[in-house]
Amino acid sequence: MRPILLQGHERSLTQIKYNRDGDLLFSCSKDHVINVWYTHNGERLGTYDGHNGTVWTVDVDSESKFLVSGSADNQLRLWNVATGKCLYTWEFPTAVKRVAFSEDDKQVVCITEQRMGYQCTIRVFNISRTGDGSKQSKEPAHIFNPVGSKATVCAFTSQSNMIFTGHESGKVALFNFKTGEEVDSNERAHGDVVTDLQMSPDKTYCITSSKDKSARIHDTKTLDVIKTFITETPLNSAAIAPNKPYVLLGGGQEAMSVTTTSLRQGKFETRFWHKVFEEEVGRVKGHFGPINTIAVHPKGISYASGGEDGFVRVHHFDDSYFKTQPYGDLQIED
Amino acid sequence: MSIPKTSWADDVEELVSGQQEDDNIRTVVEYSVNEQGKKVKITRKIKRTLQKSIVEHQVAERQKWDKFGAEKGNAQGPDRATTAVGENVYLTLSAGNKSAESEQQEEKKPIKSTTGGKVVCRLCKGDHFTAKCPYKDTLGGLDNPGDTGAGPDDDTVPPSDAASGAGPTGSKYIPPSLRAGARGTGETMRGPGGGSRDDLPTLRVTNISEDTQENDLRDLFGHFGRVARVYVGRDRDTGAGKGFAFVSFEDRAIAQKAMEKVNGKGYDNLILSVQWSQPRTDPK
Repeated sequence: MRPILLQGHERSLTQIKYNRDGDLLFSCSKDHVINVWYTHNGERLGTYDGHNGTVWTVDVDSESKFLVSGSADNQLRLWNVATGKCLYTWEFPTAVKRVAFSEDDKQVVCITEQRMGYQCTIRVFNISRTGDGSKQSKEPAHIFNPVGSKATVCAFTSQSNMIFTGHESGKVALFNFKTGEEVDSNERAHGDVVTDLQMSPDKTYCITSSKDKSARIHDTKTLDVIKTFITETPLNSAAIAPNKPYVLLGGGQEAMSVTTTSLRQGKFETRFWHKVFEEEVGRVKGHFGPINTIAVHPKGISYASGGEDGFVRVHHFDDSYFKTQPYGDLQIED
Repeated sequence: MSIPKTSWADDVEELVSGQQEDDNIRTVVEYSVNEQGKKVKITRKIKRTLQKSIVEHQVAERQKWDKFGAEKGNAQGPDRATTAVGENVYLTLSAGNKSAESEQQEEKKPIKSTTGGKVVCRLCKGDHFTAKCPYKDTLGGLDNPGDTGAGPDDDTVPPSDAASGAGPTGSKYIPPSLRAGARGTGETMRGPGGGSRDDLPTLRVTNISEDTQENDLRDLFGHFGRVARVYVGRDRDTGAGKGFAFVSFEDRAIAQKAMEKVNGKGYDNLILSVQWSQPRTDPK
């Protein structure tokens, strides 16, 4: 397959996200810029300008009407996807590391960094979708501080009022954001910081990647670890491919540690693992730096990876991907 | 005088670049001049296929959105500054960890020897490295520039032909003044009043034939005045002339006149070229 190179960023990518229909790809980066691209040909639709610091995270609602982004300039911004206009800005004491829309697009959760006396905080805002969206409530609907290790990633689950979180210590937990209490946790889910969290298409399970060189699939209700994938490099991102039993993992050595470690440093490949048999089935090379973020098209026809090198590579799978069955004819019921 | 060469390519008329369309293949023909000044015909065949896909209504709507932000005002279609097509990458899906194993094996594969393992000397074909060849001095002349190619056959040339103090082991040319025992022996001449030969007005004669001897040049230039010294540049091993010589006069005016007269003159079927010789630069 021929990847399409999207060269819209001057610094490393922090997150990329497909919209629900899969025709738009949002990318954000340390260069303060958020880009949106058409996925079928890589054409850039526009940019969202306004942030004054690294944009750590973006999320788009299911109608592709609103975009939220969190940045190191302590702001959470709401944008109109079609026009690029910033509709509302929330200010916090510390940087925003992760945002996510809820399934019904009515709520947004965000994690703010722990720094200088401020604890890590999780806030949930109600989003008013009436009018042009510029009238939002300044105060969060819910706010709480997760106990223990600070949260690095979060997402809404299919259960009401529950969010799934990943922490710096490697713990994963379920929080009820109405009450602010930790409902369940798995302290030893990972050995090191959880770097990414992505839900399955039906939201009953999710995959987390971690710097402890492994990725795990968890049941979002019970927090059981269903599958484990162990690699040789710290992972920055993991994604679940729809319609095929594969997961995509991406990572790579940090630039700082490349020269101090031996053994196959700097392998910047997106790895494909079989979701059920927990074995690696393929790799795609191409990035010139560690892969920071991976996203898969909601219909499973393409995937994109964003790297430390500032490039986003969009790959449209060719027929061999869909036809190959490395483990025989047995079809897995999804 | 040499005739400028023409080729059939030059006879092509200055054709106007054109395009034509057959089925879906558009052929664009362009004529231009490339960096070397040559006419270049560039033919591009572009096949355009229309891909239709059925998408949700909303998706189709989004395709019509105006561009905003940094892309404001830009036309439809991808911009080359932001979008490029990369090289083909292959994703081969196969069971098991084979991809990891095969990579490790490739790294450990021993570096293959290009000779197939046998060591052969390039000079004498013995089973030692060329640099260690015992006949390096006699056969090693192959590396000198301007060699006539008679190297390996010339075993009759005595090793002392190099006349250098380094002799058998040295392979570099050593000028006469630096050779062992050069001062006042052999071909050196004492000028009047003890002047050293370095002060003599010297001409450099080039494009002399291979069999031109020192005596020939002495006769030729001696016509103008006293020739103090003649040196004919020779190949170290074969003795054949290298095509140049240095002729030193005692008097500069004589040298000047000789230069004017001999330069451009024919000698043994070659046109001689005579110039002032450049002073020797000391290698530091």
